[in-house]
Amino acid sequence: MADDVGGSSPALREIDTSQAGGRYTANQVGGLSPARRELADTSPVHVFWLSGMSCDGCSVAMYGGNSPRIEELVNGQVVGAPQIMLHHPMFAEDAGAAFMDAYRLAAEGGLGARYILVVEGSMPDDQSMNASESFATLGAGSDWPQGKRGPASGDAPVKVTDWVVALAPGAIATIAIGTCATWGGIPSAAGNITGSMGLTDFLGSSYRSTKGFPVINVPGCAPVGDNFNEVLKELASSLSGAKTNMLEFDELGRPKWQFGETVHRHCSKAGYYEEGVFSHEPGDNECLVEIGCWGPVVQCNIVERGAINHMGGCMIAGGACIGCTMPGFPDKFSPFYKAPPGSAISGGTSRVTGMAIRRLRRMSMHNANTEPMWDSAHSKSTGWAYANDITNPVRKVNAFFYKKLQYSGSVNHHKRQKKQPLPLSRDILRQKGVDMEASVPVLQEHLIRREEL
Amino acid sequence: MSINAPVAPQSGPDQASSGGSGRNVRIAPVTRVSGGLELHASADFGARTVSEAALTATTFRGYENLLEGRDGRDAVFISSRACGVCGGAHALASALAMDMACSVKPPPTGVIARNFLGAMECLYDYPSHLFLRAGPDYAAPVVSRTSPALWASAEATPARGADIHGFSNISDVMTAMSPFTGALYREAIAMSRMAREAYVLVGGKFPHPQTVTPGGVSSTVDPSDFSLALLRVVKFFDYCRRTVAIWDDLTDFFYNADSRYAHVGTGPKNFLDLGMWDDPFAFDGTYENATYWGEQRWATPGAIVEGALQTTDLRVIDAGVEEFVGRSFYEGWGQGAFSHDMGGNPLSSNHPSNKKTIPQPGTANLNGKYSWSTAARWNGHPMETGAPARMWATAMGRLQPHTSFIQATGHGISMTVPQGMMASSEHEWQIPNLWNAFERNRTRAYALMHTSLVAYENIVIGLDLRRKGGPDARIFEPYKIPKDHVVGAGYWGGGRGYVSHHVELDARVIQNYQIVGPSTFSGSPRDDRGTPGPAEAAVMATTLVSPDPGESAVDLLRAVRSFDLCMYCAAQ
Repeated sequence: MADDVGGSSPALREIDTSQAGGRYTANQVGGLSPARRELADTSPVHVFWLSGMSCDGCSVAMYGGNSPRIEELVNGQVVGAPQIMLHHPMFAEDAGAAFMDAYRLAAEGGLGARYILVVEGSMPDDQSMNASESFATLGAGSDWPQGKRGPASGDAPVKVTDWVVALAPGAIATIAIGTCATWGGIPSAAGNITGSMGLTDFLGSSYRSTKGFPVINVPGCAPVGDNFNEVLKELASSLSGAKTNMLEFDELGRPKWQFGETVHRHCSKAGYYEEGVFSHEPGDNECLVEIGCWGPVVQCNIVERGAINHMGGCMIAGGACIGCTMPGFPDKFSPFYKAPPGSAISGGTSRVTGMAIRRLRRMSMHNANTEPMWDSAHSKSTGWAYANDITNPVRKVNAFFYKKLQYSGSVNHHKRQKKQPLPLSRDILRQKGVDMEASVPVLQEHLIRREEL
Repeated sequence: MSINAPVAPQSGPDQASSGGSGRNVRIAPVTRVSGGLELHASADFGARTVSEAALTATTFRGYENLLEGRDGRDAVFISSRACGVCGGAHALASALAMDMACSVKPPPTGVIARNFLGAMECLYDYPSHLFLRAGPDYAAPVVSRTSPALWASAEATPARGADIHGFSNISDVMTAMSPFTGALYREAIAMSRMAREAYVLVGGKFPHPQTVTPGGVSSTVDPSDFSLALLRVVKFFDYCRRTVAIWDDLTDFFYNADSRYAHVGTGPKNFLDLGMWDDPFAFDGTYENATYWGEQRWATPGAIVEGALQTTDLRVIDAGVEEFVGRSFYEGWGQGAFSHDMGGNPLSSNHPSNKKTIPQPGTANLNGKYSWSTAARWNGHPMETGAPARMWATAMGRLQPHTSFIQATGHGISMTVPQGMMASSEHEWQIPNLWNAFERNRTRAYALMHTSLVAYENIVIGLDLRRKGGPDARIFEPYKIPKDHVVGAGYWGGGRGYVSHHVELDARVIQNYQIVGPSTFSGSPRDDRGTPGPAEAAVMATTLVSPDPGESAVDLLRAVRSFDLCMYCAAQ
């Protein structure tokens, strides 16, 4: 094995080849230089956060993220990423004009640094309203850059939408975080009176950042914090000259590696669907489609990534997917807790096929749950089970054909196992006459038998 | 870098500040609160006094209007999104309102799961407030800038709780509280994540949980989830010991440095809370029995005026609530639909169940309408809400049942915190004589301790219910939304305390939906009689103690932030 370390292992050679001409060589392992040095531009990237028709839930998700953590980004501790200078009302040391100063400078073009604009919450239709009427404001007119069209006076509050108009064109990238900012979300649902819309609807589909990006959309209500933090880090690194192969987006500007799959494909309950077993009411453990889960048609990665630090995730915890990452949310998924219409066909089909698949699998499982030695001994070696059903003739026939198919064209381990002698010390306590009759009877309490998985 | 900005000529809600070195202060935005908030004040930096103050909630999204006309089954998941800092509290309040409207009684394990979610949300929220939102006002950068002499004194003052929290001098505590770089700041983020990890095991996601439903929760909790949750909750035992020691030390240090700090954010000891964490066997979701199940809660409902307990009866508390819009960007709605509440008591036309949300956007005029928050009052009184209100009501109510670790004594709450890495210890939060920004924060630190114990007890009870099995181990009770006209109210609490949802359904469709958040009380503007909201009054009562050479109004901000306002809860 020592040779492998020296580099002769095929696996290790393969890694070296794939990195040929790259940054990592064998003698660097264990001592990578900080990749930040490889950034073409090592200056900090400012991040301006604006909240429209928001609930702060995306900000809360952002500081819940672990990979990377916001404090690491702000402290410049993420190897390979530039330092982030965060301008965010929830985290700012300063308040009022002192806080707004950087916003004004950025809007004037006088910041002297690159910035990313992050928008949380949908955009209300207040640009069409009287200059003194608004649904969301930030700062005062005295914070507004001279000469730009904006608030009515130095006393008037500044509409958040004014800041978006002022800051988006100069941003190296603009990220919409959460379903409100990406598509409109709940504030744009039927019955709304703010005329709200998503950021791309507001800015227009011709919008491009200074680096050429349309609005980048990280949806979710609230989004998985790591989805956003990862995009922020990758984007800031990439725009600073780091090589990254992650930044691929779909036709709606979603990070493809995060939203390229349906949430159902990675769902921990998808196996139930395959076998045609469904929850009848909330709290049941099976597939949630019939209590209103839209997972099979929703693009999201929460069950794969977890809600926070790989824990939780809607369906994993028993919550039916209501499509909160999707442009149709909420109206196209309402009413919640009603089975999606399509599930009558797809769920019905999986009930029929699933029943057959499930039966076959249970037979295979019975075989898989039997140690080959137990086959030879014709007895199951367990202190837990009461019934010993190993010699069931139907199962024997089934197992015979199963093994035929499994080992055909290969080595028949079943035959080889039959030639193995049973170990002589099997069941040693009985052989030595140790009496277990006085043991505490706890089996009734701890044994769970499931007739049908 | 002064915060000074001119304010509209019509400033000074009732009168402008008179002469002297007084000037108008406008802080837009007040940062480190949730949601958009502006502070207008007339401050005299010579006399160190404040004559006027007004708080403007700057965002309106129309959640109540959006809910109208939707299927009742949408209520929980839509209304949760009104606030992303405490979305779980809104989801639970909505589920309670729907329980009542649909006459469904969640099974005991379902109630325990809800309690657990409520507790874990507080355990994420309190560290976030104490160290991320309020904390930086007491951290090295702000203190050394606004009060160099105080910073020098902090460097020379040993911290009494050093054995517990590990920081030798007060200045070490303050340095550790520095945004992003400080150890305590970063630890608070980490602990907030820890609580959220436990939350999502049961809630699926956060801040908007996916498992909360009328009739209980839809969570599929297995033994690993219990174990993972427990391992996280017990981490809070040592953390709350340290947090209490830190805020005790900070509070004492400021009082000793200048006794006038006791006037920063001082107020009249008016508190309102609906309680939270239901007795799994007492709670039945009905209005008829709300008095009973309310008083069986771990945190006792209560209305306290001028430091005197008025009632612990949920129905009496609810009946006294009114919302005024004379100074808010809404039109009046005239008479409401209900002249009496569900118990037959006469009801004000300003009660939330009678309210209709009719927005009227306009220019903030401090003599007229100036906030998107309504002015919520209780029997006419401005009331403080939040973790401090919960502690006051629980302490004075002396009704808290169940518990092996917590005892309400009438003059405080004594707590036994089990062993963590540190030995088990006894603590007592005593109802303070003084009431101000420091006591609010200190009380919130004790609330962290209280909540850790509530969370622990609920996990233990949940395990026990699951072990025993049978109908009590179910987590959900099936329900049907009635076809006829029904109403429901959900009385609950979040990290910031009081949250009530009021739903009216007809033919299964929402006719009216009203949300009263904690900051609809604490962060409210003036009411129709001109009485300022609690945070406004606290700013006006503040003495500008810190020299604050840049006139950044640090003591006013300390006063405002001590309420832990959330303007998304205040104005939906």
